[in-house]
Amino acid sequence: MSDMFIFMAQVYRELQPFVAHPEGGGHGVLEMPSGTGKTISLLSLIVAYQRAFPLEVTKLIYCSRTVPEIEKVVEELRKLMEFYSKQTRESNNFLALALSSRRNLCIHPEVSSLRFGKEVDGKCHSLTASYIRAQHHSNPSFPVCQFYEEFDAVGRQVPLPAGIYNLDDLKDFGRRKGWCPYYLARYSILHANIVVYSYHYLLDPKIADLVSKELAKKSVVVFDEAHNIDNVCIDSMSVNITRRTLDHCQNNVDTLHNTIHKIKETDAAKLKEEYRRLVEGLKEANVARETDVYLSNPVLPDEILQEAVPGTIRTAEHFVGFLRRFLEYLKSRLRVQHVIQESAPQFLKDIYDKVCIDRKPLRFCAERLQSLLRTLEITDIADFSAATLISNFATLVSTYSQGFTIIIEPFEDRTPTIANPVLHFSCMDPSIAIKPVFQRFQSVIITSGTLSPLDIYPRILDFHPVTMASFTMTLARTCLCPLIVGRGNDQVALSSKFETREDFAVIRNYGNLLMEMSAIVPDGIVAFFTSYVYMENIVASWYEQGILENIQRNKLIFIETQDAAETSMALEKYQEACENGRGAILLSVARGKVSEGIDFVHHFGRAVIMFGVPYVYTQSRILKARLEYLRDQFQIRENDFLTFDAMRHAAQCVGRAIRGKTDYGLMIFADKRYARADKRGKLPRWIQEHITDGSLNLTVDEAVQLSKHFLRQMAQPFRQEDQLGLSLLTLEQLESEEMLQKIAQVAHQT
Amino acid sequence: MDEEPERAKRWEGGYERTWEVLKEDESGSLKATVEEILFQSKRRRVIESHEQVRLGMMRHLYVVIDCSRSMDDQDLKPNRLTSSLKLLEAFVGEYFDQNPISQVGIITTKNKRAEKLTDLSGNPKKHIDALKKAVDSVCAGEPSLYNSLNLAVQSLKHMPGHTSREILIILSSLTTCDPANIYELIKTLKSLKVRVSVIGLSAEVRVCTVLTRETGGLYHVILDESHFKELLMMHVKPPPFDLETPSTTPFLETQICLSLGGYFCPQCHAKYTELPVECKVCGLTLVSAPHLARSFHHLFPLQAFTENSVEEHQGDRFCQACQGELKDKTIFTCTSCQSVFCMECDLFIHDSLHCCPCCIHSQIGP
Repeated sequence: MSDMFIFMAQVYRELQPFVAHPEGGGHGVLEMPSGTGKTISLLSLIVAYQRAFPLEVTKLIYCSRTVPEIEKVVEELRKLMEFYSKQTRESNNFLALALSSRRNLCIHPEVSSLRFGKEVDGKCHSLTASYIRAQHHSNPSFPVCQFYEEFDAVGRQVPLPAGIYNLDDLKDFGRRKGWCPYYLARYSILHANIVVYSYHYLLDPKIADLVSKELAKKSVVVFDEAHNIDNVCIDSMSVNITRRTLDHCQNNVDTLHNTIHKIKETDAAKLKEEYRRLVEGLKEANVARETDVYLSNPVLPDEILQEAVPGTIRTAEHFVGFLRRFLEYLKSRLRVQHVIQESAPQFLKDIYDKVCIDRKPLRFCAERLQSLLRTLEITDIADFSAATLISNFATLVSTYSQGFTIIIEPFEDRTPTIANPVLHFSCMDPSIAIKPVFQRFQSVIITSGTLSPLDIYPRILDFHPVTMASFTMTLARTCLCPLIVGRGNDQVALSSKFETREDFAVIRNYGNLLMEMSAIVPDGIVAFFTSYVYMENIVASWYEQGILENIQRNKLIFIETQDAAETSMALEKYQEACENGRGAILLSVARGKVSEGIDFVHHFGRAVIMFGVPYVYTQSRILKARLEYLRDQFQIRENDFLTFDAMRHAAQCVGRAIRGKTDYGLMIFADKRYARADKRGKLPRWIQEHITDGSLNLTVDEAVQLSKHFLRQMAQPFRQEDQLGLSLLTLEQLESEEMLQKIAQVAHQT
Repeated sequence: MDEEPERAKRWEGGYERTWEVLKEDESGSLKATVEEILFQSKRRRVIESHEQVRLGMMRHLYVVIDCSRSMDDQDLKPNRLTSSLKLLEAFVGEYFDQNPISQVGIITTKNKRAEKLTDLSGNPKKHIDALKKAVDSVCAGEPSLYNSLNLAVQSLKHMPGHTSREILIILSSLTTCDPANIYELIKTLKSLKVRVSVIGLSAEVRVCTVLTRETGGLYHVILDESHFKELLMMHVKPPPFDLETPSTTPFLETQICLSLGGYFCPQCHAKYTELPVECKVCGLTLVSAPHLARSFHHLFPLQAFTENSVEEHQGDRFCQACQGELKDKTIFTCTSCQSVFCMECDLFIHDSLHCCPCCIHSQIGP
């Protein structure tokens, strides 16, 4: 019990400045190191508000990145609710649930055995689509999903009983009742008090339209682990078209054509009905949006809703012909020999000149295709992903004249001899995708362990935060040790910058650093490189110089590759080696899978070494276009953005090692550029405050000595009582006058 | 050839920041708190050890010494191996002083193998000689935790249940090379009630944390040489006696006849040249009376003295033992005879004398 008090006290203390926030409405950006109870603090505060003002805060939408993270949030929530019911001695009627894709929720024996999300979605669709079910009605031998049938028959009348449901709970519940957990969850989020799901359900317009559009306006939205939110926004709005996509699309169009032909012979009335619907336009959607029921979809801009679908693409054959023409045009564009970069209006003008496609029908392309697919009763939607992609592209390119750019590259930069033309339609403005979220919901909170510098997020996402705060950890002992290693033992400056990238002296010194560290750091070391190519070069060079062999005497070496299965295998073995005392090093890449989603708690990551500054590949044209856009639109200088981006990834990488107050780890920044104030200043506050003058520009030897000392200090016995009063508070301590004053003071400052 | 003379030169050795030990910390976090925590744990240890627990008198302890490549490290002077062996010599001496009827064996591990340096025996001289010889051995390869634990268990598991079975590992390396899953072995150790403690010379290794936690041992990492010594001496005191184990075997036989050049077992009259020893013929544990007397205090430990502040104390401000003035803030009072002692004397009485001098005095006196 006292543990819980202690914990609540800590929460209260760390988040006190935030207390005044949700009721006022508005958006916030909060940075707080991981493992300090960020999630539980947010949850407990917002739940408290929900209980106190049930009319003002009706729903909490908690968005996280990965399925394990979602599960973690639900577990925290369960603890909180248990505490509530213990304290108030009454059962509360909170409903909280997690939502994930069909792949994670399906209980249909056949469908759930499929491996890929797309396959599951397609198979599910082929068993649950309305016309399939209609066919089943007339012909009972036609296969349908009995779980969905059951849910549809009875599931909607009785709401899900109050409680906390994670994905497994939903599945269990579904199995017991014989209901489809996925549709049950999707239906239940409408009346649930707390919903936990992935960003994409809110940010990706295609999915958000299906799942989240009816969520109540008076909700609080939390984006956890949101340091990459701008990239998520951009990715959700960008389209890449290769020749393969076009070929697929060609097949799709042919299929469409054939199907239309068949239907015309058998059931012409159906097509007529569709035609009539299209004449009336998308009025329904328009009404819904005006009454503020729906979350607006950026792919489907407001103006479209007021108009009817233009005549040129109203009939099915015309539309297919239209698609063909558009496809041919794209094919011709991909047959380029040099790189082309143009804006959306340029593209539209060109398409009008060449194949006489107007802007207006293009805008309706996405809607029209959806409608056609529905009419034609195409069972496997997954097959039509290429056509959907092209039609989305058509709609986006004709809708937005700003914030997007089109780049056509005939080959990849690295392989100039192999023709591999790609059309990038890339979004440069993350605010487009996130704007509806900010507009619709009263409070949006963006939070992560590494969000520094805070002020850049409101600028690139284009919103006005009410609260911006960066919290530090209150520690009973200094459990993190950031060191900036700038020189080798031979005084050669260490840097991953372009000029010295191939320099043997630098590579040797990097190898030396890793070797020395492998001898003094126990259990696991995670090393991050700036890119896969760089890692390959360095590792090859280490092998030649015999450094690798020396390292392997101390620890085993595992390498992250671009293959996901291989990487997860490597990770598993890495953890095993850390567990049984052999010790291991994981070589991985900043921005890779390991750097983003995987935590290295305690012995799995006693040291993180960051080789070089993880700048993005600056020669990429998409990046250049985006930098230009940022400069013109938001007055953010290229260099500032690049440094910001590099530092947030560096912070993300090194932050993998410290996942709580009892954890400890070394953070080694192996590049002399980190010592500069402009780089250092962009690290999160909780790391920055431990970088002293003594830990700047060290040689490898100095770093080794400091690390040895640090590791010995940290290995000394550390008990909970030692934290008491410093980073943990008992109830009495919390209620003491002194502490309350201190909290008020901290709240005032931030 | 080239390396040898180089190693001898201090200035070419490791880079050290000796001044850091003296550094005053402005932020007041790292150094200050860690040291405070250390001090507190020291105090607690003193208090804990004063508690009334019966301690095991008969111990069987295997000391495992890591002789791997990392023992060449020079952060202990002149290197880790020499320093450790020297401290272990002192440890063995002290161990037999405090636990005369206990036994020790020494195992070394290097090159992925484990070797027995000495078998379990109660003769300190044998061990000290072996340790002295080991100084010249070459440190090479990796240690193997599994092999050394396995080797120790092979002999420990034959020891009678009423005695304690312990392993103390001096581990310098951060890696171990094991032929099988060590977690299975840890389970076996647990079921055999073998207590494994580890003293790490470099940093905290996960597998040792688990090993010691599961088997109920202690895990410490040294800060410097004096801390190392302190940690080692902690293991001189016997661990708490496990009362659950029934002592079914006949406990001790002290009726030993001394004759010229040896001792005779009272049961089967086998002759032994040294004590303590287990009779090879009838299995009786043979000890001499002085041995037993010296171990006696573990069975009836002296009660902890109560701690008071000087201000509360009425009467003479002199320590009953050393007759010095009570200068410290705290004083200690014996619970049975109410005599007052200073902190130094308190530590001396509990660590070395094991009986209150004033109580003894009043017993003898009229």
